[in-house]
Amino acid sequence: MSTTSPPRPPAVGSPEDTQADPSKRWGRFLNRVTESPVWNHPVAQYATGILAFLLFLLVISVPLDLTEQVIFAGTTFAVALLLRRTKGRVTTLAMMTLSISASTRYIWWRLTDTVGFENPLDAFFGFGLVAAELYAFTVLLIGYFQTIWPLGRKPVPLPADSSTWPSVDVFIPTYNEPLEVVKQTVFSAMSLDWPADRLKVYVLDDGRRSDFRKFCEEVGVGYKIRGNNRHAKAGNINAALATTDGEYVAIFDCDHIPTRSFLQVCMGWFLKDDKMAMLQTPHVFFSPDPFEKNLETFHRTPNEGELFYGVVQDGNDLWNASFFCGSCAIIKRAPLMEIGGVAIETVTEDAHTALKLHRKGYNTAYLEIPQAAGLATESLSGHIGQRIRWARGMAQIGRLDNPLFGPGLKIGQRLCYLNALLHFFYGLPRLIFLTAPLAYLLFGAHVFQATALMISAYALPHLAHASITNSRIQGRYRYSFWNEVYESVLAWYIMRPVLMAFINPKLGKFNVTAKGGVIEEAYFDWGIARPYLVLLIANLLGFAVGVWQLVFQDNPEITTLFINMLWTGYNIVLSSASLAVASESRQVRVTPRVAAALPAAIRLEDGKVLTCQTDDFSQQGLGLTVPDGVQIPTGTKLQVSLFRSDEEGVFPAVVTFGGKGRLGVRFDDLSLAQQAELAALTFSRADAWVGTWGQRQQDKPLSSLGGVLAIGVRGINELANNIVKSLRVRRTSNAK
Amino acid sequence: MKVLAVVSSKGGVGKTTVTANLACALARQGRTVVVLDLDPQNALGLHFGINPSEFRGISRASLAQQSWKSVVFESRTGVYVLPYGVVNEDDRDRFEHLIETRLSWLRDHLQELNLPPDAVVLLDTPPGPSVYLKQALAEAHLALVVVLADAASYAALPLMQRLVQTYCAGQPNFSEALYVVNQTNNSRQLSKDVSNVIRTSFGDRVVGIIHQDQSVGDALANDLCVLDYESGSQAANDFRACAEKIAQRLPTRTATA
Repeated sequence: MSTTSPPRPPAVGSPEDTQADPSKRWGRFLNRVTESPVWNHPVAQYATGILAFLLFLLVISVPLDLTEQVIFAGTTFAVALLLRRTKGRVTTLAMMTLSISASTRYIWWRLTDTVGFENPLDAFFGFGLVAAELYAFTVLLIGYFQTIWPLGRKPVPLPADSSTWPSVDVFIPTYNEPLEVVKQTVFSAMSLDWPADRLKVYVLDDGRRSDFRKFCEEVGVGYKIRGNNRHAKAGNINAALATTDGEYVAIFDCDHIPTRSFLQVCMGWFLKDDKMAMLQTPHVFFSPDPFEKNLETFHRTPNEGELFYGVVQDGNDLWNASFFCGSCAIIKRAPLMEIGGVAIETVTEDAHTALKLHRKGYNTAYLEIPQAAGLATESLSGHIGQRIRWARGMAQIGRLDNPLFGPGLKIGQRLCYLNALLHFFYGLPRLIFLTAPLAYLLFGAHVFQATALMISAYALPHLAHASITNSRIQGRYRYSFWNEVYESVLAWYIMRPVLMAFINPKLGKFNVTAKGGVIEEAYFDWGIARPYLVLLIANLLGFAVGVWQLVFQDNPEITTLFINMLWTGYNIVLSSASLAVASESRQVRVTPRVAAALPAAIRLEDGKVLTCQTDDFSQQGLGLTVPDGVQIPTGTKLQVSLFRSDEEGVFPAVVTFGGKGRLGVRFDDLSLAQQAELAALTFSRADAWVGTWGQRQQDKPLSSLGGVLAIGVRGINELANNIVKSLRVRRTSNAK
Repeated sequence: MKVLAVVSSKGGVGKTTVTANLACALARQGRTVVVLDLDPQNALGLHFGINPSEFRGISRASLAQQSWKSVVFESRTGVYVLPYGVVNEDDRDRFEHLIETRLSWLRDHLQELNLPPDAVVLLDTPPGPSVYLKQALAEAHLALVVVLADAASYAALPLMQRLVQTYCAGQPNFSEALYVVNQTNNSRQLSKDVSNVIRTSFGDRVVGIIHQDQSVGDALANDLCVLDYESGSQAANDFRACAEKIAQRLPTRTATA
């Protein structure tokens, strides 16, 4: 407001105005204090640091009795809730500080005041729980460090003169995926916007299939094979590196379809930074992963991977520790050759390759702009198998090339790698948390040597601060409590491989049979569900015992029982939510179908052309929205046009269904040239499918909890239905 | 008032149809739109539901030294139509002689109409060089060249470019020549190639790619422009887009219009 403007009339009952001025004055005061030149002096800096550290020690270690602790914790949490209302990263840092204080205070108290166990049974369960808690605490701390200031890197424009742009080889490794799937990626790779004389596309076929060779020859892309399949994908890429010569290599899994802008968006950083060796973009999926499919949360709740690509990788980037994730990335050839090609020592060759590059002093980057998309693993068993591989590989890295030791890394990089590694050890701790209250309910063990109220007064602030702080950091990329479901589902399966690989890197290979591709009929995967079933039954039993004690026992320890039963209740929700994931719903498409509203037109047999738009597209056909009243019988042949600004492709098609302003068409015998054109007008376009990334609502912890509860109910329901179903099947087969 | 001359070097490219449908689309934007038929075939009126036996028109009015106001027909879609009218051979000769000798004939008559500033006048001209084309281009702010996406049409383009050069060069009003590719069908490779060549040669001066669409013909049979007949058709869509691009080159509509 300028000083010459007339005074405004006093605001009556307008909270905005009455609050604005004092807070502005407060803000000005703070600015004056923080911008004072005093802070540039090292003495001031060290003095403040030491003072802050002493205060921190005081805050975490001073013993308080119940009332005092409740008041202290309550006030601190109220401050955090107030802070949460303001925007900005500084607030997030302040909330992290409060959360770290509350958690450290809890752990301090836990280690000094609650572990005087009286008998071996208590000690066994008690120390087990302490160990799990220490693990969770460490991961929390490193997690804060990792995501302290997500870099939010932006693309660097390329020089206007495209003759100075470097040469790029695009590698599409494949082993046993169908040609239909690989075709799409090849077509899109061919239509990447890059000078044609400096772009070469290669299909690296470890399946050595003749139809692949024929296809590559027909469309004019390179086809590479080798004499063996050693070291799987890593070996496949290394073999191709030996016979190609582009200055850069872009790698796409054969079902990851790049948009045409991929190279132009990503390459700029390499030209700007000479030490840049690798740039990764997010992996996004056209199709729901098994969680999203079986829980029907696709496009509503962020999936398991979104946290990694939305927050963690961007956080890593600050520390120059972005990982290579195997696909949708560019690597500079010279540094890659310097480290001997893609790493082959572990089963997570991608992360290990990045680690080796970092050790040599090269930089890596992460651009949080989806520039390619693929198909998610269809079945839960396949999904688990993939996570086992990641977990096992990270454990192998921990043994063979531990990022905490060895040359070349900065402390930030070491910690980021350490967290990536530690992350996969959640199996055992998660199982401990899922069963801990049972130690008391079923065996009468006192895992805490403290009163239930004291435990609540210390533990609740620790959990609550961590919850709201993480909710703020992860906001649009992971909703509260969902992570617990994801981890509960995987815990049992990744625990053994990780521990075994850590003991001996060669061990820990477990095969989970992927049912693959199409799931013809909905079914309940009893085999996968067994561990959750055991957990559920154990927790239900514990809960029942708790109820029995409350009702029939003389002098029950009411608060202790109550807290343990509450915890057990939460564990029941998690176990039944895990069961819901094991209920596989039908999945019929082998190739992706993408929802997108693109301009289109249909030419009917009588020569009329109707303008319309797509609802979705796939390699096989289109779903269209047509004007009301348009009736076209099934089986009618027509021509359908797709537009991209002035570009138009016309494709012959057959109507497969129609009604209520909707029309489904299937493409009719497209030539290879038409298939390539279709790819350019659909999957390759940058505007077609990137819409949902990071566009979700900010997390609301309570409604997320509601969502998880609903999934739990769903799990019990599915379980009951499937028990009834299998009993009925058994009875009819017995009758025969 | 802005004048848009719709021209072509070849006959049969759908120039009259383009004029009529474009007029409808421009009128939909809320402008005052006048179409003037300078083609002795007198076909433009048919697109606006004017009785085929109606003989009044600008030819007779000009010869009789009457104001054109007496031969303005208002169509159902709100477009003002000035038909060529029906004349016998002698009268046509006299009329064309009149135009040839009076260089300000078109300008005078248009000024007499007292059109509002946001008005657009579309001139439909006969194909190739003619007295009508000469005056139309001399008066035009914009020339709209209609071509088909075929080889012959493409080959005839330079002729039209020369005519535009000859008649428009030095005219203070004239701003640029625009292009519309009519009746494209991208399922035919030739059609697709020619559209692409025209687009690459003229860039954003190509203001319309009109699809070959039976709805256009059906609309004419029903005395309607395709926007009114089959609003959801691709051709209607194309004409709307084309009118939009042309509108960007016209002064913005005033609130009083």
